[in-house]
Amino acid sequence: MLILSRRPEQALRLGDEITVTVLGVEGDRVKLGIQAPRNVLVLRQELFQQVQSANSDAARGARPSTSTIAALLRSHNGATPV
Amino acid sequence: MTVTESQVPPALAGATEVDSSILFPEGLVGCPTWTHFVLLTDEDQALPVAMLASLSEPGISLMVTDPQLVVPGYSVALSEADRQLLDLADDQDPVLYCALTTTATGEINANLLGPLVINARTRRGKQVVLSDSPYSARHPVGSVES
Repeated sequence: MLILSRRPEQALRLGDEITVTVLGVEGDRVKLGIQAPRNVLVLRQELFQQVQSANSDAARGARPSTSTIAALLRSHNGATPV
Repeated sequence: MTVTESQVPPALAGATEVDSSILFPEGLVGCPTWTHFVLLTDEDQALPVAMLASLSEPGISLMVTDPQLVVPGYSVALSEADRQLLDLADDQDPVLYCALTTTATGEINANLLGPLVINARTRRGKQVVLSDSPYSARHPVGSVES
């Protein structure tokens, strides 16, 4: 891993199109400004991990039958089936 | 398992493509090789649950449902870049699915943080992550006997 030190208002360039600027440091929080093309996904790492982990569990875990799940959904919120 | 048009739920039926597979050009979040899927429903067409089975990764399948059945009024605000990736027309709404996970103790959870957004016309899909939403990747739906 590349490790760099930056002061507030200093920035990093990632490739030609992405700039990450340290806007400020308050206690244990670092405020970052990110400029990137719209097609570049910028995401808090923990959200990425939560979705990745849910995908992995959804694909590989044991699961009840679809009819069991359907019954559960019908009772959930009193919703009617689509 | 063979796939016929009759196995595609109404939300996705009527697509112009003969091939009924759905392409996620970027794969799913954290699973970039999961790109080609086919949506399978039970013989009982009334079930609000379908299986999204991977064609690119054998053995991988996700149980999915309509997120509005989990949280009425659930909706997704798509970025312009996402709409372009999905080839959505200006007045076109995508089909939304959420994947379901089952814990070892039989708790069923829905991934509302990372819904699957599909253009039913072009059969292109993307899993978006709703950064600034109140939704969880494991929203409790209920529990079943384990």
